[in-house]
Amino acid sequence: MISDVYIIQKATLNDLPFIASAIIAAEKGNSEKLSLATLFGINENQVFKLIQSMLEEEIDGCEFSLSSFLLAKINNIPIAAVGGWIEEFNGELPSNILKSNLIGFTFPKESIKIAQSKSSIIRDIQIERKQHSLQIEYVYIKDEFRGTGLVQKLIKTHIEKALEKDSDLSIVQVQVFGNNIAAIKAYEKMGFEIKKKFLSENCDALTYLPYNMKILMEEILK
Amino acid sequence: MSELEVREKITEIIVANLGHHDFEFNDELTAEDVRGWDSLSHMAIITSIEERFQIKFKIREITKLKNMKTLIELVQSKI
Repeated sequence: MISDVYIIQKATLNDLPFIASAIIAAEKGNSEKLSLATLFGINENQVFKLIQSMLEEEIDGCEFSLSSFLLAKINNIPIAAVGGWIEEFNGELPSNILKSNLIGFTFPKESIKIAQSKSSIIRDIQIERKQHSLQIEYVYIKDEFRGTGLVQKLIKTHIEKALEKDSDLSIVQVQVFGNNIAAIKAYEKMGFEIKKKFLSENCDALTYLPYNMKILMEEILK
Repeated sequence: MSELEVREKITEIIVANLGHHDFEFNDELTAEDVRGWDSLSHMAIITSIEERFQIKFKIREITKLKNMKTLIELVQSKI
């Protein structure tokens, strides 16, 4: 049984390359479109380095926070990662502002100008994250470990840790591109329900993003 | 530079970046209160503030800002 051999632990600076790879794979979903590259006019290798630079800042409370990540490891080798944080916990800024601060300070100025010129592509699918909810983001598991229940275990651990920080926590949210049917089904199996669908009507959406529709899923904690 | 001057310049920057003035500039104002102040426009606003006042923020300073009052105080501390 895989459950006998893996351990779940918080990410450390040593895990940066794995987390960066996990974020890139999760961003792509089941497409080859990496929006952090396409929207910013940079390549995947640059994104890989920039993600690590953002994580190194150790700013808590968003999807590019090192402290957001839990990893599953076997023999000290990471095999899965899931990000999760409580939105605006303890007076933190909204995660979208923290994220844009990190990008703004890390990405080349020229690439930020390129992304700003393409803002209409993502405007309709930017989903507001509910204050004080647990946000799950960047779910990744190596192919050979899929179907083992490990992702479910990582998300459950995130929920347990979040409840220790905030016993009033009642909502868990996850966002997924509409073409990632396997992920949607997996989240439904865990207790998430589709809350709302967001469609980008910009005709360039499919050129730059994995899909032109994003789905907000929610799990209500009993 | 007086607080009033900083406040006026920041207002101009926000209006120039968002293309509207449908907000009341007070100490408690946050990005969430202003229509169109999303993650992409936030980057542009912060960059414009740095350029206009010829200052450089540190990321830890920016991520601690709570509202306009703290932004004005931070800008004033750097000019």
